[in-house]
This record gives sequence, structure tokens and C-alpha cells, in this order.
Amino acid sequence: MPIQVDRSVVGKEYPPFPVTVERGKIKEFARAIGDLNPFYLDDRVGAASAWGDVIAPPTFAVTFRDERADAGALLRDLGVDISRVLHGEQEFEIFRQLIPGETYLCRTKVVDLYEKTGKSGPMAFVVRETAITDRANEIVATMRHVTVIRL
Amino acid sequence: MRYAKVAFEDVTVGDELPRLVKGPIEQIQLTRYAGASGDFNPIHQDEAFARAAGMGGVFAHGMLSMGFVAQAITDWAGAGTVRKLGVRFAALVRLTDVVTCRGRVLSKSSKDDVDLVELEVWAENQRGEKVVSGRATVALASRG
Repeated sequence: MPIQVDRSVVGKEYPPFPVTVERGKIKEFARAIGDLNPFYLDDRVGAASAWGDVIAPPTFAVTFRDERADAGALLRDLGVDISRVLHGEQEFEIFRQLIPGETYLCRTKVVDLYEKTGKSGPMAFVVRETAITDRANEIVATMRHVTVIRL
Repeated sequence: MRYAKVAFEDVTVGDELPRLVKGPIEQIQLTRYAGASGDFNPIHQDEAFARAAGMGGVFAHGMLSMGFVAQAITDWAGAGTVRKLGVRFAALVRLTDVVTCRGRVLSKSSKDDVDLVELEVWAENQRGEKVVSGRATVALASRG
């Protein structure tokens, strides 16, 4: 018997949360991937670059988390256990580079939920979008996450 | 040279990106990625948990493989060139898997003085099975 997910979550906007990018976090993230690009890791290369500092790798915004607005909050709203969850799709759109010391505001909302039956059984797909803006409220990047729930 | 940027004029539709080979995947890398990314789902760390969840054992964070794909792009195009990257996680990456990231130029365009290259990107395991597939847009500088 497949589990039910609470569909009323579609349209929900999670509380906005601020994130200040830390230099060490960028480097820890790049090294965890094994990406030793000096534009992420070398402060002198960053200082001499067009950005004036090191920049974050393209997928770094996935580190922007808040317990009231992250995947855990989504699962609580859906009434789903973490052991049923897979990452289906992910997209980043980057308008400006994320750099250390900058504070950004993240706003996440649930934009869609649909069900499909795959080769491993029925699944629900939950689509969330996160807008990342700077202090001037200009868009810096967006993320689109598709979370798959094995029903 | 590594980390050299490719110039827009030097890119031709159909060009393949240099392959980036990552792995073999070890548990320690998944633990490290959990700490760096903040994704502590035990399904990537705890063999008993992953088996009880019906997943047949631990597997890598999809975002780690996406990070590999992003690296393949920036190793070729340069850091800070990615405007858009979207992927689907097509299959699980397991411990000891070797992940090869690949890409191909689909199209070139110029808009508002920005030179853009559209890429098909993917990653495959040691059996040639796609584990990640997606698209990317990079903004390249001119040779000048």
C-alpha cells in the first residue's frame, strides 16, 4: 500500500533566511568535490581576478540551508520519512558569482507536486524553487530542486 | 594548460569537452561531502540504514556527481563561466564506482554582448551507464 503525501504543501513559501558566504566554506566545499581550481581556493588568485576575491563553485548554493526551510522541513510538511527520499533533478541559474563576506537572502517555495510510476514503483516528485538575492534585493542565483519520494 | 579558459571563437558545435574522471568513490568522500554541503542523510553514510531503506547499500549524494560535472565544465571553460546548469540524476553512484564526466557543444549564440555556449553534459560510470544527464550554459570570453 503506497503512502500518501500531503499535497497541500504546493504553493507553500518557507520563511526567508539570510546566509553569509564564508571563505572557508567555499574551500571546504570545493575540496570535498575534489575541485582544486585556484579561483575557489587561492586568495591571491581571487584578489587578482575580475571578481576581486575567490568565488564559489557553481553548485555551492546547495549549502544554503535553514532548518525551517530545507529538505527536512519539506519532509515534515509532506509527512514523509527521509529514507524514502531521492534527489531527482537539480538546476542552478547563476547571474552573479557568490563571493565571501556577502550576505544573501534565500526564499524557497514549493511550486509543483506530481506522481508517476517508475520501474521501482509509484513515486511523487516535489519541485521547489529558491531565489537568492543580495542586500539590494537583486537576484544573484536561483535553484530548482526536484525531490523524489518513493511512495 | 589546466584551468585555461577556452575562447568563444575557438569553440565549434559538436566539440567534446575533455573527459574528467573522478573516483573510485570512497566512503570518506561521501562523509566529507556531507560535512561540506550540510546534507547528512544517513542513506549516504550508514550501510545498515541504506539497506533497511531498500536501497541495497549506501550511495553517493547526487549533488556530489553534479559537482563533478560542474568541475568538468569549469576545467574547460574557466571558473565563473557557468550561467546555468541543470541535471537529472539518472542512476545511483555506488562506492568504488568511477565517474567520468563528459560534455558536448550543442550551440553558440551571442546576446547583449555576451557570448554563450550551450552544452549537453553527462556523467557515466565504469560500465558506461549514465548516472547524470543535463544541460549547461556557459558565457565565454572572446580571444580579444
